Formats: sequence, structure tokens, C-alpha cells
Amino acid sequence: MQVKEELCVGCGRCVLYCPVQAISLSADRKLAVIDQDECVECGACLRSPACKTGALYQPELTWPRAVRSLLSDPLTIAPESGISGRGTEEMKTNDVTARFKRGYAGVAVEVGRPLLGARLRDVEKVAQAIARFGVEFEKINPTTSLMADPKTGKFKDDLLDEKVLSAIIEFAVPIEKLPDVLYTLERVSHEIDTIFTVDVCSRCNPDGSIPHEELLARGNWWYSINVKTNVGLGRPLAAE
Amino acid sequence: MTHTLHRIGSYNDLTEDYVFLMMPSKGINVEGSGEKLRTFLEMALRHNPVIIGDARKGNAYHQGGIDNLLANIEDQAVVQAVFDNKETVVTLLKELKEADLGMSVVVSGIATEVHEACRQAGLERHTVEHSLGRWGRTDKLPPRQILEITNMCGHSMVPAQLVYNMLADIRTGRRTAENAAGELAKPCMCGIFNTKRAARLLAALAEAF
Repeated sequence: MQVKEELCVGCGRCVLYCPVQAISLSADRKLAVIDQDECVECGACLRSPACKTGALYQPELTWPRAVRSLLSDPLTIAPESGISGRGTEEMKTNDVTARFKRGYAGVAVEVGRPLLGARLRDVEKVAQAIARFGVEFEKINPTTSLMADPKTGKFKDDLLDEKVLSAIIEFAVPIEKLPDVLYTLERVSHEIDTIFTVDVCSRCNPDGSIPHEELLARGNWWYSINVKTNVGLGRPLAAE
Repeated sequence: MTHTLHRIGSYNDLTEDYVFLMMPSKGINVEGSGEKLRTFLEMALRHNPVIIGDARKGNAYHQGGIDNLLANIEDQAVVQAVFDNKETVVTLLKELKEADLGMSVVVSGIATEVHEACRQAGLERHTVEHSLGRWGRTDKLPPRQILEITNMCGHSMVPAQLVYNMLADIRTGRRTAENAAGELAKPCMCGIFNTKRAARLLAALAEAF
């Protein structure tokens, strides 16, 4: 995002709408200044009611900066998934896709969320730690497309310094491997300069219980009282 | 993934925050899905939702109103509706079961409450996802009371400094808590920011500080 200096009146309202606090006022408080290294190209300031003079504008983004918009602007449609946002259908359509089958846990690690954003260098650290389990990262997730080698979690070198609002590392593991994956995530969480959220899903047992919940409880892992529940209304139901 | 999952708060507070999401699946049931998604939102609107949204085209504020939002729904959209009570969740689940639209439906909310709602609607949970919270540099995050508000936008589009600004406006009488909540909902493009809950939290915070 850029500022047309001739139109900016230095009101400072746009500063309030930047999720990563990349906008500030100049020292003389006459102009909004966008730190281009910190801006994640999410478009929030431009869409907001902040600027009354039309001083904000979005120039065309080229590679590698274009990945910032892809993983930050919720209205950008990823060509891989065909949907808006940074993620995939994941468990939301598991009733018709059987993406996460019985005996497996689906895991998503959203690096940079909430509010801090992430350099892809940190996203790579997490992906490389997970790749050692021999997982297959979700192919239609836009984050996977940024990897030079999805088998190792290595990202393309020219992307490593790019900053995004968040990048989601998504995969499935045999459910008995879940505790080891979580221990690995705990270790790598101390090696990055940002934050990530972790979530785990699984296909419910015939009695309605949740396979991964027992593992989390047994391992004394904290998990929220809040959940996402696919209620099984999609058709045609996937064969299992 | 997970844009409705990581909402945090007390048990009592979260009993007034449920998000319905409906979407088709690429390559399976996308064709003609726009009409079914629109039907769902029309059903939801009959039950007084807190807010509705379309993640593909943006929230109602961004699209210039609910009529535009409904008119603009495309195949392969992802649509949402937020409710503040379990009774409506049960009623809408029953209606969706009867309508048999064939689209996948996800309900976000307290596990036990949603499970009970499914039982009452005659549905069995298919797949469940838990949040394991925030890991890493949690020291860089704003306080939990602020996160309870900002996290209601799953794409992190509601900045902490905007919440602080709204709190200052409420304290000085420039805004009501309801008006501030409406302002905070504008950046949440998916339209899942629970403005009723936000107004409640903002009012309590404004009084406490």
C-alpha cells in the first residue's frame, strides 16, 4: 500500500486500521507513512472508512511481494483452493471429501496469527520441523505452493524475507503420531520471532466421541472449550 | 483454515456466540451452489442473526448492504451467520436438515453446547476441530481482554489499537459500545464479528479502566 502525499492531510485515522501497525505519522505529523517492509498488503486500510481524501492507493504487486497479498488479504482468491482467505476447505467439507479419514488427525499451524504477522523465514522453520515426520503438506493450500521442496518444507529463497499476516501449514498425520508432532511444535515455537495458533481435527468415532480429544487430554495439552463441528449435512457423503 | 475457531472468552460469554458456516466443495458440489448458499442466508435471516457475511465478496458493510450481499453470492462462496443463543442453533439445524441443501455446514461454538444442539436436531457430529491456542511469542500480543474482541475476526483484520481507540471513545462519551462494536466489525470481511458480544465486552472494559 502506498500514500499519495499530495492528498494526505495527516489526520492519522488510517493508523488505527492497520492490523500490523505498519502505518505511522511523519515526525512533523503532516503525512501518513507506511513502512513498506512491515506492510503485509492486506488492504484493510484501503477498505476502511479511515481515509476521506483518497490518499491511500494499491499499486500493482509483483513477485515476490505479491505473496503478501495472497496470504494477508482475506478477499484474495487463491488459485490452488479456489476460495478466498489463506486456507482451504480442510475439515469444513470433510463430510463430502473424507480428507481426514478415521485413524488420522488433521493439523493446521497458522504462523503469524493473531495480529503479529510472520516472515516466511519463520514459517519455513515450522514447516521444516514438521516435514521430518514425512507428512504431505496440503497441496491446494497456497502456503504449500511457496515451498521449493514440500518434502522438506524448504521455501523459495526469494520469499524468505516477505512478511504476511499469516501462513497456514496444513497436513494430516496418523493419529498416534500427534503427540510427537505437538512436542515438535512446542520446541520450534521457541525458535521463531512470532506466534502461531495450532488446531487439530479428526473424524468422530461411531459413538460420537472425538479421537484426538482423548490424546490431548491424556497428554495434558491445553485445548479450547470452543470447537468447529462439521454436522455432516454435505452431499454426497464421501465413502469411507 | 480455522477463521471461526480461535474465539476465546469465558464459558458464559461464549454461550452467546455461535457461527454457522456453509460452503460447497471444489470438484464435488460447487455447480449451482450459489443459490443454495443464498437460501441458507435467507433462512438464517429469519432467525435474527447478529451478523451475516460472505467470505468471497466481503461483509455487508463492504458490499453496501445485506440485499447486495445476497444478490452477489456466487458458486463456491463461503457464507456465514452468527447467532447469540443455542435455541436458534437447534432450530436452524433442524431446518437445514429438513431443507437438505447438500452443502457442508460447520457450527463453531462451545463443544458441549454444539454437541447438545446437534443431538436435539437429530444430527451426529461428523468431524470436530479443537484450538490448541497460541504458541511462541505470546509476550508480543495485547492483553487477553483485547484478544477476546480482536479474535472474533479470524483473519486478524481488527487491530488492537482500533479497539483501544474505541474504548477511549466510549469512556469520553463520543460513542456508545454498540456503535464502537459496529465500527470494529467493518474490517472483518467474512462478516463473523459478533457485534452484540463485542458491545458487551467493550462496555465492561470501558467501565473497568
